[in-house]
Amino acid sequence: MTGRILVVGEARGGHLAEATLEAIGTARTLAGADAISGYVAGASAQGAAAEFARYGVSDVRWASDPALDDAAAGKVTPSVAAAADATGASLVLVGGTSFGRELTGHLAVRWNAAAATGVTDVTRDATGWQVRRPVFGGRATETRRLDGDRAVVALRPHAFPIAAEASLGPHVVPVDPVETPAGWREVRRLGTEAVAAGGGPSLTDASIVVSGGRGVRAPENFHLVEDLAVALGAAVGASRAVTDAGWRPGSYQVGQTGKAVSPQLYIAIGISGAIQHLVGMVSSRVIVAINSDGSAPIFKVADYGVVGDLFQIVPALTAEVRRARGM
Amino acid sequence: MEIVVCVKPVPEAETRLRVASDGKRLDVEAVKFVLAGYDESAVEQALLLKESVPGSAVTAVSYGPTPRTEEVLRAAIALGCDRAVWVEAAAGASDDPIDVARALAAAIRPLAHDLLLCGKQAGDDEAGLVAAALGELLGVPDFGYVTDLKWDAGRGRLTFRRSAETGVESWEAPLPCVIGLQQAWNDPRTAKLPAILKSRKAPIAKVTPPAVAAAGRSAAEKFELPPPRTGAKLIEYKTPDEAAQKLVRILREEAKVFP
Repeated sequence: MTGRILVVGEARGGHLAEATLEAIGTARTLAGADAISGYVAGASAQGAAAEFARYGVSDVRWASDPALDDAAAGKVTPSVAAAADATGASLVLVGGTSFGRELTGHLAVRWNAAAATGVTDVTRDATGWQVRRPVFGGRATETRRLDGDRAVVALRPHAFPIAAEASLGPHVVPVDPVETPAGWREVRRLGTEAVAAGGGPSLTDASIVVSGGRGVRAPENFHLVEDLAVALGAAVGASRAVTDAGWRPGSYQVGQTGKAVSPQLYIAIGISGAIQHLVGMVSSRVIVAINSDGSAPIFKVADYGVVGDLFQIVPALTAEVRRARGM
Repeated sequence: MEIVVCVKPVPEAETRLRVASDGKRLDVEAVKFVLAGYDESAVEQALLLKESVPGSAVTAVSYGPTPRTEEVLRAAIALGCDRAVWVEAAAGASDDPIDVARALAAAIRPLAHDLLLCGKQAGDDEAGLVAAALGELLGVPDFGYVTDLKWDAGRGRLTFRRSAETGVESWEAPLPCVIGLQQAWNDPRTAKLPAILKSRKAPIAKVTPPAVAAAGRSAAEKFELPPPRTGAKLIEYKTPDEAAQKLVRILREEAKVFP
């Protein structure tokens, strides 16, 4: 088995997505620069292709086919499989985005490779690649062996540092267009609406999440949670009590029946910590709880806690955050 | 419309996790298995379509061992699915998500299938690979993270939205197609008692999974639980401002997560 790695990138506005930079950073801890290649698809991705070199990957395959601009994983898969073969990769590494996870499922079948998603650690020994990944909402971790000489791995978002910059010259190799798989020819992407009114990051993508629960008491108080989120540049979440009561839409819900998040910092405000909520946030790196009830279960999973009246603590915290950030 | 919905039995959310004696997996002794949360949304979506498109039928398909797999298929029938197909996994069979997708695809191929629905992932292994692998195996387009699915009968197109990192994407696709559904946005129904009683006698077709390939799969090596949380370090303060200052200092200097 070779140790060659192909990093499949995603272009965002002409640049590589942060998730791709995390994948490049991971690849560079696993292999020398000359054993890593990059790949990106889409006519609009030329700038992103050249950007690989800035992060230490000079051998880049660029699929310039405009049919791939809609970033549908199933359409891109044949082209990625061809690039993986052409570069002699034994590992294809992708960022932990919806595209990355879908590509992993496709490529595992088409390229006959072992696959894993949500990965927080990748290692290699004589028999092959091994991964660690949180399961059960972060309540357990499993180690899996990826058998065979080919593996596809999608990383967990924010679990790896982004690649350090390196000053290499880009060597972008255009790759031949590959026929679109039959079923995809009549598929149309109609458009994209930006989420998170106010320009904040999306819940599953954010490195900081601030969530509010029943303790906020009424919808007109929820701005306390949102003001702190704005000060921190964080996404806003909510417990099920808040979305069930209609104070905020269901898309805000963090938990078993909502979204699972794993940010660097999770701040739970007025959330008691029912298991249904904990399942969605317990794998966050640092958890802060602010709650008036010191016996609330949220304090058992939190790293830091403030027992007190959120109507006093949160405005003070927002003001202090703004001051500390020079806002 | 012939709708196939893939469902998976998973441990209920309140399950106290324990490591099995081989150290490689969850100890499932005395664990109660239920229909995966995202799959409930898939079943609900299947039933909504069946109710709105005349002449539709819903077949639930599940891969797994006895008895939990049969139980979730009966739960799907109690909710309103018309038929059930059980791909029976032998004890100790591969739990690799791509192997599971291959087994499901083999069971689905002989069935009429216009639309395949599943949850975007299951709450146990959280791999989220089955929808994409099914699309690739069956040669049909697939989309995960979907909400707001609608069928435009006049044009013969599905329209739907899906949440991605850059925003909410709108798509349209012809059938056949695989759709992996996002969270419980469609408020899944619960089964009524008479339907539950009737589902106990419903026939379930049993099929044998194909032999798995010799390589190209993942296998469990170790299953670990985190050390028990010691509980939050509580911040002592006299005024809210003091609490705020201490917390910001800790986030910046100790936890190093301040932006």
